[in-house]
Amino acid sequence: MPPAGIPPSRALPSKESSLFKEVLHYYEDRQLKKGLKTADTILKKFPNHGETLCMKGLILTHMGRREEGLELVKQGIRYDLTSHICWHVFGLIQKGQKNYEEALKSYTQALKFDKDNINILRDAAHLQTQLRHYDALVETRHTLLRLRPQLRQNWIALAVAYTLIGNLTEAKHVLEQFERIVKNVPDYDVEMSEVLLYHVRILEDLGEYTEALALLDSSAKSRMIVDRVAIMEHRARILSKLGKQEAQEAWQGLIEQNPDCYDYYKGFLSNRGIDLDAVTDENRAQALEILRDFSVQFRRAAAPRRIALTVATGDEFKELFEPYLRSRLAKGIPSVFTDLKALYRDPSKRETIESVAHALLDSLAHAPDAPCPSSIDPTMYIWTLYFLAQHHSHLGRHDRALALLDTALAHTPTLPELYMFRGRVLKRAGDPYGAARWIDQARLLDLQDRFLNARCGKYRLRAGLIDEAGEVFGLFTKKDAPSPAQDLEDMQSLLYLTEEADAQLRIGNYAMALKKYVAIQKVFDDFEDDQFDFHGYSVRKFTINIYLNMLKWEDTLRSHPAYVHAAIGASRILVQLHDNPSLATKAASESHLSEAEKKAKKKAKKAEKKVQEESKKAGNATNEDKGLEASPPKDDDPDGMKLLQSPEPLERAAKLLKPLSTLAKDNLEAWIAIYDVAVRRKKYLQALQALNQAHRLDAESPELHIRAVDFKRRWSSLSDSERPSETVANVVSSALPSLVPDEVSLEQFNAQYLQRHSSRGDAVLAAAKASRALGAPREEVEAAVFNALNADVVLDLETAVAIDAFLSEIQSPREDEFRAACKEKFPLSTLFAPCSELPALRKSAVHKPVVEANEEKEEVVS
Amino acid sequence: MNIRLARVEDLPGMQACNLQNLPENYTMKYYLYHALTWPQLSYVAEEDGKIVGYILAKMEEDVSEGDEPHGHVTSISVLRSYRRLGLAKRLMIQSQEAMATVYKAAYVSLHVRKSNRAALGLYRDTLGFTVKDIEKGYYADGEDAYAMRLSLKHLAR
Repeated sequence: MPPAGIPPSRALPSKESSLFKEVLHYYEDRQLKKGLKTADTILKKFPNHGETLCMKGLILTHMGRREEGLELVKQGIRYDLTSHICWHVFGLIQKGQKNYEEALKSYTQALKFDKDNINILRDAAHLQTQLRHYDALVETRHTLLRLRPQLRQNWIALAVAYTLIGNLTEAKHVLEQFERIVKNVPDYDVEMSEVLLYHVRILEDLGEYTEALALLDSSAKSRMIVDRVAIMEHRARILSKLGKQEAQEAWQGLIEQNPDCYDYYKGFLSNRGIDLDAVTDENRAQALEILRDFSVQFRRAAAPRRIALTVATGDEFKELFEPYLRSRLAKGIPSVFTDLKALYRDPSKRETIESVAHALLDSLAHAPDAPCPSSIDPTMYIWTLYFLAQHHSHLGRHDRALALLDTALAHTPTLPELYMFRGRVLKRAGDPYGAARWIDQARLLDLQDRFLNARCGKYRLRAGLIDEAGEVFGLFTKKDAPSPAQDLEDMQSLLYLTEEADAQLRIGNYAMALKKYVAIQKVFDDFEDDQFDFHGYSVRKFTINIYLNMLKWEDTLRSHPAYVHAAIGASRILVQLHDNPSLATKAASESHLSEAEKKAKKKAKKAEKKVQEESKKAGNATNEDKGLEASPPKDDDPDGMKLLQSPEPLERAAKLLKPLSTLAKDNLEAWIAIYDVAVRRKKYLQALQALNQAHRLDAESPELHIRAVDFKRRWSSLSDSERPSETVANVVSSALPSLVPDEVSLEQFNAQYLQRHSSRGDAVLAAAKASRALGAPREEVEAAVFNALNADVVLDLETAVAIDAFLSEIQSPREDEFRAACKEKFPLSTLFAPCSELPALRKSAVHKPVVEANEEKEEVVS
Repeated sequence: MNIRLARVEDLPGMQACNLQNLPENYTMKYYLYHALTWPQLSYVAEEDGKIVGYILAKMEEDVSEGDEPHGHVTSISVLRSYRRLGLAKRLMIQSQEAMATVYKAAYVSLHVRKSNRAALGLYRDTLGFTVKDIEKGYYADGEDAYAMRLSLKHLAR
């Protein structure tokens, strides 16, 4: 008998009612075909039965007929708005589409009509966690615990929910209660161990150190906590916080367990009142003595010796540094320089390093033609040359670095590191083609090494050799992938996507650049989605501490440099599109796929056809459960034109940049990008805020200067009808003068800025750009940037390239003159070569053409 | 050169390191799965915030009846520019200790390409692994793998 209160349309006579139960069972067992058939049987007689329609829709979705399925589900809900089954199904579908907000709404509706449904409650909890609705989560977890108090994970999940809303005291109470009533915990249970470690952490976070220590010690003794490293780390930390004597032993124990961990030395010293990041003259001697003792105790560990180099100064530094450098160079360690690089912030240490290294080199030098004398260690000789090359190049002395490398190469022409670094020096000196060629030579010395291969690909991208880069990457990507680029994107290679996007941007292919930047955005969207399954999984596994860390990481996910760079890069393209819409149509007419891309397109089409044929064959016969998540869509925009031509570029840019205002708030470039978008969207307060933030970071920044002038100019020229509300106008009027004073004209303001920074090439350019924006004639602006070439002006390659681009933008007839002057100023650089030389340069960058793999032929593996 | 337990925020760096060094790559979810299931087993080598080496490890899930629990190295690599420092060895040792102490692993296993002399040297000669088996065509490009094993009984407490 159907219970009272159910709408007449839902109630089914007993025959169909049993059939419906069968549908539910078939679905649970994923017997999709049977479920479908049974559902259709019900629908023949009751075509408007909402719940059956929904179940049929759900089954169809699982069979891959997603659009049909969704339609049916929507229909089904319309027929039965108060059915928890209908809303549950709808929620499941939306969850599968990663539409979490809507899914939670559906689940909440479902709970209205069946408030103690455990499946729905559990799914709702996961969604609430994903969406960070922690207050609601606590409620849901309470309900689940009330319904099933015998399930351990329900207790833990409630404690987690309290932790997430910051109520650690309640979390603690839940855990205490749980530990009191839990029974039959086997010996050496890793899950219980993790629960106890979670409890200890809560006590620590509450500042209840004595209690934390007591729990830790008793659990360790009874072997309830089995993670020895975690016990020791917690102990050392807590004992330090309590100021106990035993703390020292605890840190000592940790160092013995892992003498390569810096954190342990930091902890040991901190316990003795020495802050490793801020050693004072008073405690320096003590710190060094401690580190010396550790160095003796742990002869094989580099950490105490290296830390001592950070702490020591003056002569003591030299005494410690010399044997450190010697031993490493004798061992032939490639990373000596990067290891010591942090020390270069201190100019006196930098000098000591240079003098010691050169003294060492002098003692090893021998005539290049004669064989190496037996008294000299050839390994040490080579690595000393290598180290000094890195040293000098780091300090901008590229010629010197090249000379040292050439000596080393003459001596040992088979060491890839030498070729790699020679390429790197050329890159820094502005010769991307030479750089690519040298890296390629390194690669050819060890074709089995993917690292060398990846570097080669990267350097080719830097030289604008995009197809050639793809060829090289293709030697290590999956052979059945549509293209090397697609494989690297599928495997979420942020390094590759960033380099490719930047390379496309440099050659002016906005469509492809935007496509790759957006691909990076998608990778981060995927990272964000990844956490979803763990909301249930981690609670079941009881690995709570790391789960909580994971949530924290997800909260600040987009602070990752790759996302920040991609968001800024994409926003710049979108701003340009807004300023100059013809760029999109121009790109369309010029669009052509590279050879590699054409091949990939062909391959993808072939694969797609095959899949379609197979699915047609299998379609009706299959019981295959395709799940609720749609498979990733095929790439229907291979040249990026669709993306480039999408409407509302500024809105898209704003969306990309949004996380940066909290997650990259100390990044000047980010605020500049935010400004450029905000001001064009006429969001004047947001624009002003961006300028203020940039000002906070670097008041004299050239990029800021350009925008400050830009803002005032735009603001002053707003007609009365364009002006925003009075409140906004008031805020702007009061804040703007601190960025751009009222008393002077913009031209004067610009001139003053130039005067203050006339010896900075980037400031000279900025002033010229501002000048141009204020309407100065082209000749005047040209003359201004040419001042950047003066001897007393500090001009780096990047700025020179930017000036060249600017001259091109204003269609200056003096561009060639400028490039010629730059060629003189940067003799190693090829960036200012005349266009006619480019083909030869590009050819020279590839040492040996990659033998192309042909699908039919066998691959040639070197 | 800092050798320590892998944290969640290290995972993108481990993924980048893996993509630069090895042709066997994984999506982020797989890294998360390791870290959130066996948080004690994966270690990283870090310099100035950059991940230059890592070991991604787990306990074997498919254990047949009567088999002892054992650990498995899913992936281990060090950037070329940081070799010769014994990082792989140190990473491996830290991970093994944790396998034995936390999970009572009786042994640890891994796969290595037949042609990878450098890795073979590390596992067999430095760390004491022995070859248990040859798995033909184990790798995606068809190369055979040595399935290697090292007993951890000496670490039992």
